[in-house]
Amino acid sequence: MDIYSKRRAQKIWSVLRFPLFLTGQRYISQAAAKIDVDFDYDGPLMKTEVPGPRSRCLLFVFSCKNAEAVHFFCNYEESRGNYLVDVDGNRMLDLYSQISSIPIGRRQLYQSFLFCPQASTFINRPALGILPPENFAERLKESLLSVAPKGLPQVITMSCGSCSNENAFKAIFMWYRNKERGHNNVTKEELESCMINQPPGCPDYAMLSFMGGFHGRTLGCLATTHSKAVHKLDIPSLDWPIAPFPRLKYPLEDFVKENQQEEARCLEEVEDLIVKYRKKKKIVAGIIIEPIQSEGGDNHASDDFFRKLRDIARKHGCAFLVDEVQTGGGCTGKFWAHEHWGLDDPADVVTFSKKMMTGGFFHKEEFRPNAPYRIFNTWLGDPSKNLMLAEVIKVIKREDLLNNATHAGKALLTGLLDLQARYPHLISRVRGRGTFCSFDTPNDATRNKLITIARNKGVVLGGCGDRSIRFRPTLIFKDHHAHLFLNIFSDILANFK
Amino acid sequence: MDIYSKRRAQKIWSVLRFPLFLTGQRYISQAAAKIDVDFDYDGPLMKTEVPGPRSRCLLFVFSCKNAEAVHFFCNYEESRGNYLVDVDGNRMLDLYSQISSIPIGYSHPSLIKLLQQPQNLSTFINRPALGILPPENFAERLKESLLSVAPKGLPQVITMSCGSCSNENAFKAIFMWYRNKERGHNNVTKEELESCMINQPPGCPDYAMLSFMGGFHGRTLGCLATTHSKAVHKLDIPSLDWPIAPFPRLKYPLEDFVKENQQEEARCLEEVEDLIVKYRKKKKIVAGIIIEPIQSEGGDNHASDDFFRKLRDIARKHGCAFLVDEVQTGGGCTGKFWAHEHWGLDDPADVVTFSKKMMTGGFFHKEEFRPNAPYRIFNTWLGDPSKNLMLAEVIKVIKREDLLNNATHAGKALLTGLLDLQARYPHLISRVRGRGTFCSFDTPNDATRNKLITIARNKGKKVCDRNETMNKRWI
Repeated sequence: MDIYSKRRAQKIWSVLRFPLFLTGQRYISQAAAKIDVDFDYDGPLMKTEVPGPRSRCLLFVFSCKNAEAVHFFCNYEESRGNYLVDVDGNRMLDLYSQISSIPIGRRQLYQSFLFCPQASTFINRPALGILPPENFAERLKESLLSVAPKGLPQVITMSCGSCSNENAFKAIFMWYRNKERGHNNVTKEELESCMINQPPGCPDYAMLSFMGGFHGRTLGCLATTHSKAVHKLDIPSLDWPIAPFPRLKYPLEDFVKENQQEEARCLEEVEDLIVKYRKKKKIVAGIIIEPIQSEGGDNHASDDFFRKLRDIARKHGCAFLVDEVQTGGGCTGKFWAHEHWGLDDPADVVTFSKKMMTGGFFHKEEFRPNAPYRIFNTWLGDPSKNLMLAEVIKVIKREDLLNNATHAGKALLTGLLDLQARYPHLISRVRGRGTFCSFDTPNDATRNKLITIARNKGVVLGGCGDRSIRFRPTLIFKDHHAHLFLNIFSDILANFK
Repeated sequence: MDIYSKRRAQKIWSVLRFPLFLTGQRYISQAAAKIDVDFDYDGPLMKTEVPGPRSRCLLFVFSCKNAEAVHFFCNYEESRGNYLVDVDGNRMLDLYSQISSIPIGYSHPSLIKLLQQPQNLSTFINRPALGILPPENFAERLKESLLSVAPKGLPQVITMSCGSCSNENAFKAIFMWYRNKERGHNNVTKEELESCMINQPPGCPDYAMLSFMGGFHGRTLGCLATTHSKAVHKLDIPSLDWPIAPFPRLKYPLEDFVKENQQEEARCLEEVEDLIVKYRKKKKIVAGIIIEPIQSEGGDNHASDDFFRKLRDIARKHGCAFLVDEVQTGGGCTGKFWAHEHWGLDDPADVVTFSKKMMTGGFFHKEEFRPNAPYRIFNTWLGDPSKNLMLAEVIKVIKREDLLNNATHAGKALLTGLLDLQARYPHLISRVRGRGTFCSFDTPNDATRNKLITIARNKGKKVCDRNETMNKRWI
């Protein structure tokens, strides 16, 4: 069935490809038909519009679950490599990869999975913090610790991105309080007041965050999230300081001076806020930032900005928390996006999730909780995810997928810049690092229309911010996939009304 | 190897059992050797003290991870049924089951079979962003699993990855519901949209969840503001000024102290109403009340069904949502699938959260608590279909093997035995209490408690620790 449908697909696609290449206006970046990963499909294959009749029917019966956000229903059994197959049999090049959470494409794990008698890891989920399996340390060494950021030898796993940030905040608050105390003796008053949510036991600490940032949706995280009102409306929050994030002009190399001024303004504001909040007895224990603001619209800042911000954090005794939930895992061409800054001491804490398959955070030794059960929950992650991550990291190294992200990203970005030159009324502010690319459209309506048309031509794209389109392919996205996309998208732009 | 080690185990155990039965002082409730689940072991088997040399060695090399809480290292491949095997080959009867999160025992054959079916592999490997791109069988699998055990009156469900996220998102659903009720229409003002971006009212209103002293609802910042079981969970973490009511401190056995307990419960209920009014006066509105049917982490504190019925009425009277946290009590261990079913109410709750034994986190809710726009209750994964797949199988096993009745019966045997032990050792055991297998008793102090747990562990039983309490849990 698989082989049959693959052959049929090749046939149909070869028929389809021919007329496409004849289109006059078409941007042809390169022949886009190379298939070098044997489990990958060789191109999109569309049978209906998306969502198709089967997806619509499922949506209709699917009233028990909050399904308003559902795009369409998928057939994950048939999805492979860079291609997502929906329930109507449409096969699409996936540049969104489950909101950037699929590291090496679907099915790549299949083989290792089939031949390992790992059933126990999947069905006997332990309370990792108290009763870990024998191979836990070894598996961590193979997986997370083998890619630990510079200077952060400690790691704690969590189940999702929000929990990772929440617990990183807690580790920071505890570290700050211990630093303030200067000793380990907790007073009776602290122990009693914390039980009823009051200071001094629950001190008035804050995390400083940036406008446009996204760090999760649980109450603590949400107090540092400022990307869209729909995430925050009606939820009580905390009076924590919010600094402006630089709003740069692209391409960065053409606006060096303006951008430097903008970044200097934001850095000054950060210092002012720390001082201002300290005056009203609210102490900034830490600063949280994404190396690229993702949900907020793929906002970049220069490496220099981050280096200076890191210095400010150190100067004021604030912990520096780098949220790599979306940027981590290799898509920027380095395993962690903060490696681009070239610092020896880039962060005190780094959180991760999504492509890392498990949530969690790396931290310095000094952020280790000073007693058991302070950073804790029942599951503390999931060993079955660590098992898969170990395999994913092996594949990333073996197939040199970081370099691949750099190359494929270059092909994608170059093509996008070319399209921007040709369709400036539709595409602006093209930007990116590795395959972590994006561009702006004139408005929300145009953006959504482009995403819908692309989907019906067999390309899954994602939006971010209020009018950006973002690229979040998996790490096995190659040059030829970039060209395949660019060819299709060029046609879309040429015919866009 | 498996069969060999099982035979060897049987041999060793049969040798061990014999002298034990001859011990004069021993409480013999019944011959304890019945093996009715074919994948279960037939008893504990101890080779070293726990943690043994291998666990200690692993702990020593295990410095990269925060391991202070680790009891010992386990061999999950060899663990089966009610028995947890550690890396030193010690096999222990497990009455703690990974902090109450293993529903039908270790390595259940039905679950192993699931993993061996090639058509299920994709579910484990291709984790989708469930909220936007669900797999075709998602609705069907929910129907087989979560929806087949939905609490009365709560036809809607949202899955989450863990217990804390379940409660956090339940709070959010409640806050949105309350705000919409207050607004009376769907029009959000520009001021609300702008102020919420900088964490300020009116966009971020000054709402609160009312919680109970001794309650435990998770450890993320929102949840932690409703958790009041131990200082170690809360110290140094900024929190919210939300009202905290006293939870009844009852005398056991309940039937012997009816009047005192009624008075204690009445006092707590009065305090709840007072707090709602008091906080409303200072412009902090109680949008919801959160409570566990049995306060678990806080020390297995029970309250009467009548208390919960009255509390539910108070919530309704004041327009507060009633959120029942069944993260630890749900899944059948009390003899009913949800502990709140014991209350016998037609409208027991507005929202019910779950996790642990349910294998996935999430919450059930009434239609009216459905968010009025997409992406309001949302995250990348929104749970994990591989957990739903396993849960569907677990629920099948629970029904097929009538495990709810089993929990009632086994719980009765356990409780009766504990009451008997309490009568014989009142200086060591007091306040024996329980529902189903969700049982517990108190010891004189922390030191005695810990000593009993250590001794029991070395005899091949694993139990857990709570404040001044020793709990025994399993299903």
